[in-house]
Amino acid sequence: MGMLLGASIKMVVRDRQSLFWALIFPIIFLGIFRMFSFDDLGETGLLVAADVSSPVEAALVSALQDVDYLNVEVRVGLDEVAALVAFEEEGFDAALLVTPGEPLESVDTLLLNAVNDPIGHTVTEAAIASVVDDVNAVLVNAPRVISFEARAVDVEVESYFEFLAPGIIGMGLMTFGVIGLAASLSRYREEGVLRRVRATPLAPWKFSASVVVAHLLVGVAQVVVLIGIAYVLGADLVNSGLPGFLLVSLLGTFVFLNLGAIVAGRVQGRGAVESMANGITMPMMFLSGSFFPTSGLPQPVQWFVELLPLTHMLRALRSIGLDHQQLWEQGPELAVLVAWAVGTFLLARVTFRFQDA
Amino acid sequence: MTSSETPADDSIDPMAMSDDPVIRVDGLTKHYGDLVALRPVRFEVGRGEVFGLLGPNGAGKTTLVEMLEGLIEPSGGAAAVLDLDIRHQRDELKQRIGVQLQASSYHRYLTLLEILELFGSFYRRSVDPMELLERVRLDDRAGSRIGQLSGGMAQRFSIVAALVNEPEIVFFDEPTAGLDPDARRDLWDLVLDVRARGATVVLTTHYMEEAESLCDRVAFLNAGEIVALDTPRALVRTLDSPYRVELVTSEALDEHVIAAFDGTRDVSTEQRADGYVLRLNAEHSPDVLRRVEALAAERGVQVLDLTVRAATLEDVFLSLTGQTLSAAPDCEGVA
Repeated sequence: MGMLLGASIKMVVRDRQSLFWALIFPIIFLGIFRMFSFDDLGETGLLVAADVSSPVEAALVSALQDVDYLNVEVRVGLDEVAALVAFEEEGFDAALLVTPGEPLESVDTLLLNAVNDPIGHTVTEAAIASVVDDVNAVLVNAPRVISFEARAVDVEVESYFEFLAPGIIGMGLMTFGVIGLAASLSRYREEGVLRRVRATPLAPWKFSASVVVAHLLVGVAQVVVLIGIAYVLGADLVNSGLPGFLLVSLLGTFVFLNLGAIVAGRVQGRGAVESMANGITMPMMFLSGSFFPTSGLPQPVQWFVELLPLTHMLRALRSIGLDHQQLWEQGPELAVLVAWAVGTFLLARVTFRFQDA
Repeated sequence: MTSSETPADDSIDPMAMSDDPVIRVDGLTKHYGDLVALRPVRFEVGRGEVFGLLGPNGAGKTTLVEMLEGLIEPSGGAAAVLDLDIRHQRDELKQRIGVQLQASSYHRYLTLLEILELFGSFYRRSVDPMELLERVRLDDRAGSRIGQLSGGMAQRFSIVAALVNEPEIVFFDEPTAGLDPDARRDLWDLVLDVRARGATVVLTTHYMEEAESLCDRVAFLNAGEIVALDTPRALVRTLDSPYRVELVTSEALDEHVIAAFDGTRDVSTEQRADGYVLRLNAEHSPDVLRRVEALAAERGVQVLDLTVRAATLEDVFLSLTGQTLSAAPDCEGVA
């Protein structure tokens, strides 16, 4: 049995396709998502057409320059047409036109905004409106009645990347388990490996068990490597210790391996098997919260998503990896995963056959 | 299931029986739904024999062999391999037989040595892997994978992988399919070596010359039935005209005159660039040749070329089924 398990592990780690789904695919995702800076919006280039010799306009410009994320460039003497030309040709994100108003000493402002950046557009508009209000209040010496300060709360996630990292690890385990195993099994069948093994006295369940255990062990190694890479990239997932995280990973991977075996058992032909495996994993990847919180989905879709194994695996991984929770606090998630594990195991036993026909 | 449930067959060919049988097949059948893959067949294979199963793809060879290997369940009839029931004693059966399948059926990510060690671990007794590799001159490729071997090497490996448990019976499935003549002869030596070491060999093939040079007895399968079973020589002797004569002449000879000679059959003429080709099957060649040559001399026709050959298994199969084996499509894994 040891020899068989050793051979099965070699077959998984020497199989480039299986290793792609296990490691390269999630590493690519970690790398790509790390490159985007979701946590700050970058800078907005703001062209301000104003006459800074006017004290009111000078006060406004100075207040705008204090806003961190606005990169303010002041030009004197631009009318609306000239400002629009400069805005369009010089690549500013927005332009603010400040003109003398009625009565004397008051000013009018007009914000020209790019429509191709809806989020930046809204943020810029809100920031400038707030600066205008502030400057107004200061200039009329209005007393400050309400003070305002913002601080990020919710969970202990420090960045979107930290939220993402367990999602990508879970996604990696799912693609490895479903696509990787389904592809290997259908290839074993097509090439006659299963038939050759059946011609020996080896009990088929021992062969199956060695394949499953080999994938679980490689899956655990995969999680450890990905946790390490995520750590280097800035996401610390071992807050509550590794064992709980690994146990949830193992349970989830077992469910996905069973799904892979069911696909390989139900579908004929390697191409069709791989398409089917992709068809199962892709929607789950996006619906179950690998990249975005599921709370953003419409209510009926959320009910459906609550049935999916990846949803519960990711929730448990995030609770343990990011929120300092313990394994035993994941009762509901574990219950759903165990139900999936038992159900898919029984179905895989019925559907997967060693024979071709 | 007992043999009493199989259809009675009182025309048992004595040639189908052996003195010391290691395989006894008694009315084995297989059908998939309405499709009949194998009609009741009956034969024995003796210890130390090389027994060939010949037939075109789809004739039922693989179905029959896979039942004997304990891989598929028979639909009816009974068979014993090494006195073990193929339905109920499969585990013990698999311990004592060796099965060669196409080279692709070995794990592509393991080395030759790793595969032999792995397969050896499945059996009660196993041969040292390096000794096996030496036997097929692959000891210097122990660390290679199947995909890195030539076709002939991969096929030699698939044979030796069937010998890890020192089997008493070895089943070879199209052992030389797709190989060039040199590699094929090399594998024939290997098969004969397996037998020389005391094992019984059952092989399927659709190469007639393979069966003629290797097999002690052959069974012809066609459309799920055994249509003939005997030694290759005896099968050829069953033809009423065991010689194939081909004559190239300067002018056409009258077919009807020649067909009227005693002991000639199937006379035909073909016009070619180099002359007229007359073909016929003869019962006894010296007589016929003498008379044809006399006819040519009498008509002033020149004989440019003459070949006489003994009929082969191919001719036997043609006369039994009206089909040629070599013309059968060479696709694998369908039969």
